[in-house]
Order: sequence, then C-alpha cells, then structure tokens
Amino acid sequence: MNTSSTRYTFIFAIIVCVVSAVMLATFSEGLRTQKELNEELDVKRNILKAVVLKDPIAPKMKGPEVLKVYESKIEELVVDAQGNIVDGKTPKQLTEKNKDLFPLYIYKEDGQVMAYAFPIIGQGLWSTLYGYLAVESDATTIRGVTFYKHGETPGLGGEIEKEWFQKNFKGKTIYSVKEHKLTPTVVVKGKAADIVKGDALSYHVDGITAATLTGNGVTDMMARWVKVYDAYLSKVRKI
Amino acid sequence: MGEALLSSKNQKILKDGFWDTNPITFQILGICSALAVTTQLKAAIVMSLGLTFVTAGSNVVISLIRNFIPPQIRIIVQLTVVSALVISIDQLLRAYMFDVSKQLSVFVGLIITNCIVMGRLEAFAMGNPPWKSFLDGLANGAGYSAILILIGIVREILGSGTLLGYHVIPASVYAQGYVNNGMMVLAPGAFFLLGIIVWIQRAISGYKES
Repeated sequence: MNTSSTRYTFIFAIIVCVVSAVMLATFSEGLRTQKELNEELDVKRNILKAVVLKDPIAPKMKGPEVLKVYESKIEELVVDAQGNIVDGKTPKQLTEKNKDLFPLYIYKEDGQVMAYAFPIIGQGLWSTLYGYLAVESDATTIRGVTFYKHGETPGLGGEIEKEWFQKNFKGKTIYSVKEHKLTPTVVVKGKAADIVKGDALSYHVDGITAATLTGNGVTDMMARWVKVYDAYLSKVRKI
Repeated sequence: MGEALLSSKNQKILKDGFWDTNPITFQILGICSALAVTTQLKAAIVMSLGLTFVTAGSNVVISLIRNFIPPQIRIIVQLTVVSALVISIDQLLRAYMFDVSKQLSVFVGLIITNCIVMGRLEAFAMGNPPWKSFLDGLANGAGYSAILILIGIVREILGSGTLLGYHVIPASVYAQGYVNNGMMVLAPGAFFLLGIIVWIQRAISGYKES
C-alpha cells in the first residue's frame, strides 16, 4: 500500500476527520442533559452562596438538596431597565435578545425579604468573569458576592473565586446615603486602607497582588451592574 | 511478540521517560505549563494527571494506526487525535465530575498544546508497538508530573504560605516579620526553581551536553 500517494492521503484525512467529528459530536450530544443539569445546579448553588443563607448549605451538599433549599427560599423575577418587575417572566425564559430585561433573585425567609441577588458579568484579564452580587434588604449593603466562572490565572487573578477576596465585599455599601449617589465597589491596587481614607473605605476593597487587571475588571463589572440594577433597587431602598 | 509485559527493555522505557530522558529536565519540553500551573500544588497535580493520561492514550492510538498514517500529514493527524482525546475527557469531566472540571478550567485545553504529547508521538509512538508506546507515555507523564509537583510544592509554600490550600507557615512566623515571597507566585520564580532542578537532576544522572 502506498501511503504517500495523494489519493490515499486525501482518503485518510477524510476518514480521520469523520471519525473524530462523529466521536466528538456523540460525546457532546450524549452528555448534554447531564452537563446542563450541572450548570443549572452550579448557578443555583452560587446564588445561594451569594445571598448568605441563615443556614448555609454545605459545599458538598448533593444536587437534590440544593434544589430543595433553592425552591423554598429563592424567588425568581425579571426586571426591566426602568426597574419594574415584568409579570409572568422568569430568568429561564430570557435569551440573548432580551438586552433590557434582567434576572433578579430575592431571598426570603418566612416571607420576609432578606436579600436581593443579581448576576454580574464582565471582562477580566483573559476571560469573562461570572458572578452574583447580593445586597441586604436595605438595598444598599452588600451581603455577599461570588465569582464562580472565569479563566483567570490560578494563584493570581484566579484568586477572585477564593473566600478571602469575596468576603472583603461583605458590608461594603453600593449607595452613599450621605451623598445620594451610587458607590459601586472599587478593587484597589494593594490594600484599600492604605489608599483611601474615611467614607471611601465603605466602597473600596483590597486588590490581588499581581492581578491588577483582573481587579480592574471586577471594578468595571460592579460599576456596570450596580447601575443597571439600581433602577429596581432604588425603588425598594428605604431611606 | 512473546515478550514479557515488563521485560528489561520495557523497564528501560519506563526508566528513560521518568529519569534518564525526563521530558522537562532532559528534553526541556513542556516548560510553558511547568511555569503556568505550578503556583498551587493542586493545579499542578491535576495537570500532571491529565497530561499523563493524554500522553499515554494518544501514544496508544497513534501507535495502532502508525503504519497507515500518510507521512505528509502525520503531524496534523497526531494533533487531531490529541485534540479529540482531550475534548472527550473535558466533556466527560463536565458531565460527571463537574467540580474537578471547574478547577481544571483552562488547563484541559492547554494539554493539547503541550509539546511533550506531540514530542512523544513523533519520537516514539510513530515507530513502536502500542504496549511500548503506552509505557513510554506513562513514563514521560510521570517524569513530567514529578517535576511539576516538586515545583508546585515549593512555589505554594514560599509564595502563598499554604500547601493544597492549607496554611503551613504558622501565624507566629508572620508576626515575626516573615512575608510570602511574591516572586514565587510569578513566572520568574518558577524559572529559577526549574533551573535549579535541571542542574541537580543532571548532576545526579551524569548528563553532559554534547
């Protein structure tokens, strides 16, 4: 068999392509349901993490239990750009086309609002960062933040997924009652306490060493989404 | 055939990949990932497992079809096999080991571009039977893993004061004024370490540049 003839080379190449393509397509399709379930579960787990439940779920808790807690505590809503709740829509129905509709998640304990949570998305250094931001029922104080999906450098920008970074946001305020203006959280280069003083500390957090650009990305996404959701939050804010 | 599974020849294949012709210290391959994923031990371990699996697996596949591959397009065929294998693994992880897949994130894709995989296919699997190729892949993967894990341990302890995420340097040491070495977190730290490891390994194995 002459393996270097043009005819043979073409046939071989086609066979390799077809076999790989069929194999990959089978894998991708065959596992689709399972992958989607995992992703949905991950989103719900992260919303629960961001709102900081009264009784936090264990990190290892199984899927069905997470879903049960989620169903009983989280109300899913959709708001428009003016901050009005859109009746009859759920976050699941939103598609790429709904540029002026935004999902909103409300954490309730015995019918009482405990927190509002919403997704935050933005560009880091290498990748798109995905997270959730939750504010207390006063619609001003940050209750929790999570970053659950990103492609930043592990040990550097990747530190945004770590507890130490995320807990810095807790207790910061996204709105200054004194000055009546929005104060989206800013990630500084270095330690916040060394750079800003006084009231400004209420919306600055420590940066990550050697990951300034990831930090800037977080700052940008905070600014963007706090502004978008303020349309709704300003209506429920009690001042 | 008729050769024992672990005949002396096959043992030599294992020893070569792991020690005498270690992919990192001898062949100086796979340096990019040795720098990129060793800031933390966990990432280094995961990358090691992934690479060992892919090297061994693709070595077997290529070895099986080695006599049918047209020489002009062999590199492309090799790359296709490696990519298909890596993507399949990624899909399986996403479906059944979601947590692991999240930790791996970009690393799985990085395996495709790892020079060791292609290097072994071209240098070994194209000219040897499947079982020998499998051993070769395994040995080179293990050799790569050993270096990666070593660097990962040193960098995580010196750079972050932790090991597998647990604090190992006591708070009292920090109170005395000790600070984590920032350079260890960055690529230059890995370069220095790698240089030292190559030096030590070559001193012991008695390798001389020709």
